[in-house]
Amino acid sequence: MTVANLQATSAQIVDSDLKHRSLFQDAMARFSRNYLAIFGLIIITIFCVLALIGPMIAPYDFLKQDLLHALKGPSAEHLLGTDELGRDIFSRLIYGARTAALVAFSTTFLSLIVGVLVGTTAGFRGGASDQLLMWVSDLVQAIPSLLLVILINTAVRRPIINWFDDLYEQSRNPFFLNTTWLDYVLVFSALALIGWPGMARLIRGQILSIGQDDYVLAARALGASDRHIMIHHMIPNALGPLVVAVTSTLGTAVVLEASLSFLGIGIQPPNASWGTMLNDSLKLWQSFPHLMISPAVTIGIIQVAFVFLGDGLNDAFDPRRNR
Amino acid sequence: MFRLFLLRFLRWGVGLILILFLTYGMMFFGAGDPIRNMFIDSNEVDYRDPAVMDALRAKYGLDKPFHEQFANYISNLVRGDWGRSIRLEVDRPVWDIVKFRINVSMQLGIAATIIAAAVGVPLGVFAAIYHNRWADRLIVSSVMFLTAIPVFVTAPMLLYLLVLVLDVMDVPYGWQGIFSSNVILPVAVISIGPLPIIVRQTRSALLEVMGQQYIRTARAKGLHERTIVLRHMMRPAMTPVVTTLGLLMVTLINGALFVELVFNIPGFGLLTIESIRLVDYPIIMAVTVIGTMIIFVSNFLVDLMYPILDPRLRSK
Repeated sequence: MTVANLQATSAQIVDSDLKHRSLFQDAMARFSRNYLAIFGLIIITIFCVLALIGPMIAPYDFLKQDLLHALKGPSAEHLLGTDELGRDIFSRLIYGARTAALVAFSTTFLSLIVGVLVGTTAGFRGGASDQLLMWVSDLVQAIPSLLLVILINTAVRRPIINWFDDLYEQSRNPFFLNTTWLDYVLVFSALALIGWPGMARLIRGQILSIGQDDYVLAARALGASDRHIMIHHMIPNALGPLVVAVTSTLGTAVVLEASLSFLGIGIQPPNASWGTMLNDSLKLWQSFPHLMISPAVTIGIIQVAFVFLGDGLNDAFDPRRNR
Repeated sequence: MFRLFLLRFLRWGVGLILILFLTYGMMFFGAGDPIRNMFIDSNEVDYRDPAVMDALRAKYGLDKPFHEQFANYISNLVRGDWGRSIRLEVDRPVWDIVKFRINVSMQLGIAATIIAAAVGVPLGVFAAIYHNRWADRLIVSSVMFLTAIPVFVTAPMLLYLLVLVLDVMDVPYGWQGIFSSNVILPVAVISIGPLPIIVRQTRSALLEVMGQQYIRTARAKGLHERTIVLRHMMRPAMTPVVTTLGLLMVTLINGALFVELVFNIPGFGLLTIESIRLVDYPIIMAVTVIGTMIIFVSNFLVDLMYPILDPRLRSK
């Protein structure tokens, strides 16, 4: 019997006798039984939807000041009250969700790209390039992450703004006058810089370990082609941990953006950020606690949702953990 | 084995110098001249005199080109001279400041670890005893819930709850020693961080021990359940937990930044922020060196302790 024959027969057996269930279907079945994780997923979906269609829902412009109605508590007009400049807190929270979502997705995307590049290079090439790349990622992880991010943000912002001023002087192009989007780019890049080593390590580890697993050997013994093994066995198995890592990076990015803005070096006013709102409220919280409670509760709920979702995904993809 | 250690220390040494070089470079080319900032912030006539400013620059060696400044810094550091603070506490030796700040952070860290252990170990034991029943699930998920919330959210919320709603304390602010009532809230907030690690460690260590033969023997002898848990299970299970506690204490020095900020405690984390705000080179460098060393050392200890932490590695 030739190999092709054997493959055909085995495929027939699988097709006829058993209902095929993929790794992902198994994982989803486990995931849907975990109520906390579902709760997390729902909260995060709401958060993403709010970030996307925020301007349509927000009752006021998040920048509109109304000094006559400053520091008012929650009322029918202003659902969560107004801040010290009379801006509607509910609207600012929604725009803060946009900031948080933008930062989270861009940061995760950037660190994923760098992580995949570095991780695959290190994993497949091995040898000296592996050693060097892992040494660099070790070093990046050895610097306290907040210190690194703060350093980068303080050190890079001023020169870039000066450079933009020069460019404006020379070109008179109004594009160089508006530097508010620079805050976002700086925060993404700084956060991606501390995020990539974790991704790279994970991907390298997956590459090194999965080729050795028994099911790959089994598939090879059955005569499966390299391409088949890659697509049907290696990638689906590597994807699970990656999904978990991406979720946790999203959550970390949200909290790091809020921490940076809380320290006054992330997203600068007048852009809305939950961290900035929380920091501003600390001056007035004893007289006007509503300023503090809304951003604090929002950050808290999102973080809890991310942790429950991440834990649920982890259990779904790796059922042996925690048993 | 010895050669492996040597190689590792060599890699760390080179890495540390590289990190310092990048930090110094970022400060020098990005954040700017502390003396100029001093001029901008100051109302005193003295500081507006260019001659005074030049003299100050010369005093701290800031008039030299970048490579010379950096080489000077490294050679001083190797000889144990950390330099003097430029702006934070003018002219005070950096080592004095850092020593005081680390001392404060360490006291907070130790207190927080003790509290986290006192709460976390019993919770972990209960979770293991009621494994996969509702008490276990409640403990594991509520601890996860607590830690998920970032410190800079927990701290103000607790302040609001305790000061405004329940009115049981005044706003704790500043540092009056570890035995003042001011530290109760900061320590409580810091101790939330390591709680899930302790609970998870205790729980899994105990679950590991529970399946052993000698536990069945102890049950068969008719020993009291409490004696079995306390004497036969806890003792072998505690080794990894104690090791984890030691490591946590070290990492807490780096981790208490937000608590120190919210409660205005002059610890190591607050020093980091203050020094970067004031562009105080020598302190920024010292904070980087020490913060990075702490992580290096704790990573190293983790590697050494790995067989103790993960029993599966011990048998091999």
